[in-house]
Amino acid sequence: MKVAYYSPVAASRSGIADYSALLLPALRERVDIVVAEPRRRAPEADVALYHIGNDPDAHGWIVDAFRRRPGVVVLHEFVLHHLISGITLGRGDPRGYLDAMERELGVPGRLIGLGVLDNLLPLLWETQPERFPLAGTILDRAQGLIVHSRYVADRARAAGYGGRLWRIPHPAWQMDRVEPATEVAGDPLIGCFGHLNMNKRIPELLEAFAAFRRSRPRARLLLAGGTGERFDLTRRLERLGVGDGVVRLDYLPEERMWSLMAACDVLVNLRFPTMGETSGSVIRGLSLGKALVVSDVGWFAELRDGVALRVPVDEYEVPVLEAALGFACEHAAALGAAARAYVEREHALPRVADAYVAALEVAAGGDRVNEEVLWRIAEAAAEAGIDDAGALAREAVASGIVA
Amino acid sequence: MRVAVCAPQVPFVRGGAELMADELVAALRTRGHEAELVTMPFKWYPGARVLDQAFLWRLVDLTEADGRQIDRVVATKFPAYCVRHPHKVAWVLHQFRQAYDYDRTELGQFSESAVDRATRRAVERLDAVALGEARRVFATSRNVAERLLRYNGIEAELLPHPPQSLPYRTSEQEGFVLSVNRLDRAKRIDLLIEAAQHEPSVRIVIVGDGPDRARLQELARGLNGQVEFAGRIGDEQLADLYARCLAVYYAPIDEDFGMVPYEAFLAEKPVLTTTDAGGPLEVVFDRQTGVVVAPEAAELGRAVAYLREHVDEASAWGRAGRAIAERVTWDACVDALLS
Repeated sequence: MKVAYYSPVAASRSGIADYSALLLPALRERVDIVVAEPRRRAPEADVALYHIGNDPDAHGWIVDAFRRRPGVVVLHEFVLHHLISGITLGRGDPRGYLDAMERELGVPGRLIGLGVLDNLLPLLWETQPERFPLAGTILDRAQGLIVHSRYVADRARAAGYGGRLWRIPHPAWQMDRVEPATEVAGDPLIGCFGHLNMNKRIPELLEAFAAFRRSRPRARLLLAGGTGERFDLTRRLERLGVGDGVVRLDYLPEERMWSLMAACDVLVNLRFPTMGETSGSVIRGLSLGKALVVSDVGWFAELRDGVALRVPVDEYEVPVLEAALGFACEHAAALGAAARAYVEREHALPRVADAYVAALEVAAGGDRVNEEVLWRIAEAAAEAGIDDAGALAREAVASGIVA
Repeated sequence: MRVAVCAPQVPFVRGGAELMADELVAALRTRGHEAELVTMPFKWYPGARVLDQAFLWRLVDLTEADGRQIDRVVATKFPAYCVRHPHKVAWVLHQFRQAYDYDRTELGQFSESAVDRATRRAVERLDAVALGEARRVFATSRNVAERLLRYNGIEAELLPHPPQSLPYRTSEQEGFVLSVNRLDRAKRIDLLIEAAQHEPSVRIVIVGDGPDRARLQELARGLNGQVEFAGRIGDEQLADLYARCLAVYYAPIDEDFGMVPYEAFLAEKPVLTTTDAGGPLEVVFDRQTGVVVAPEAAELGRAVAYLREHVDEASAWGRAGRAIAERVTWDACVDALLS
């Protein structure tokens, strides 16, 4: 069986490119893969696999290919407003944007879209994309859907997706030994990696860290990643008076990021609102066996007790986060061991690759098998004078004989 | 208790699985239960036919018969264990191996086409449903249990079954190696015949019939009478061959379990097998209850020659095997299945 594989590639600063770089070699051991490229002819294959995320620059061409030839979609995040606006409005296609809004909310959605186009409403993809995910236009055409979390699975079903759906965990990196970086130190050293913006709850983290540092004055917080345009981190640090306690690094190459993560005692990865994404950074932390503090939302909420400390996003978020930092530092070894055991069990790369192949095999040939079997069942039912062959078909589905 | 023993039937084929189902029914009746064999023909090809054949079992209602409740269903093989019953017990001899360990080997049936791959996945899904709804899942060998765990994540309890009832006895060995098997490629009888080509002192009696017979006879041509094909024979004749042989050869590829080693042991004969034989290796221990060699004809030939030259050791290994075989009883099996 041959699979056409559509994904951003390693050269782009994309979490999904990293994901594919990890997954592809394992998939290639199991199935014939042809990696599709932008502006090239679509490869011949039994089934196409489209990795779709929210970045129009990285995924626009993939959506174009998907529209020409539907296939299995890996929905890396549920909120795709930025992607959809990019490939509609960004290409001078306001009607496409309005159609997507109408698919989401009916006529009111179209009217809201018109408000955005007429500058009467703020740009939704910047202000409140989570309220208008716009995943429907993708879901409508998907021949199968792969998601990483129950959260996205539930949202896809709630959005009316009724097709085949597989929940396949994000694969983990197999890190035997990573040499911890020595140039950044703290007692303890707390790390936060990834793009730094309001959604990552950086203001709340800084506030909790400032409070935490009163009892642990040698503690340091490492913030590694680019910042959003409208997020003035420097001023915030000055105001909180934790300037020397915070180490700020920009985007890091992969190898250096691993060694810095390995140097941390605790990793923090907060999120709200969530776009339904799985965090590659959290998976890296789990792979390294680090104590983790996350927000109790979306996919993050599915991390089991004992594997990560989950902080609810509510009015007590900051004091609870401060307490969680203390607890995580104190029990870092036990939490880290649980994290590593969890990731080896649930996110092991061979297991993930096997699950992909199982999904792709069913997506590629399942319909024809179903047709063949159901036809014979219906034919036998008709010959036996059974009017409701549908009941037989339902039983065939319930027993797993047809997918 | 009223018990329905469910087993598929391949018309005109009779092997260990059919014997086991019959013996289970007999064992249940002997112990005062009402037992009945429920069977249906099974044809697993071409393509997705295997699925509608399996579906037939889903449509069978075994909750009661003639107005009286059936208390328990014991199903032994794919697709019989797809039958629905509130008190279903699966005693798995084997799954549909073409979808699992045989897949992508010369013994498999599914090609790389999208439809074949999806059909294989459907068998996997069906097993998850059918075995998942069983009250208990037993496997007849560790090998079968390991496959269930590896491929389906199902933990099965180990419950080997006794061999067929024969008038087992032992007598002076007459130097030949006995093979008792259905004649198909997976049983690898060709390896034994090739061993005879390497070692002229090897004499072989092959019991059984099957689709590979003509090929095997062709392979044995020119061996100057070293190989005898006995075909299908009766119980008394089989017991006699067991009693008189030097050793029993049993080396299918990754066999599920196989009754033959137990039968050999009850006749106090050592078993000759290979390192890749699977289930038999759970009871055939090298130089304790038989000989285990690499799956190569020359190795096998040398092993037979060794046994011919060391008949006392061979007898001792056979007797050690008997102690193992006698521990597997129908009483224990029936108790476990109905508990």
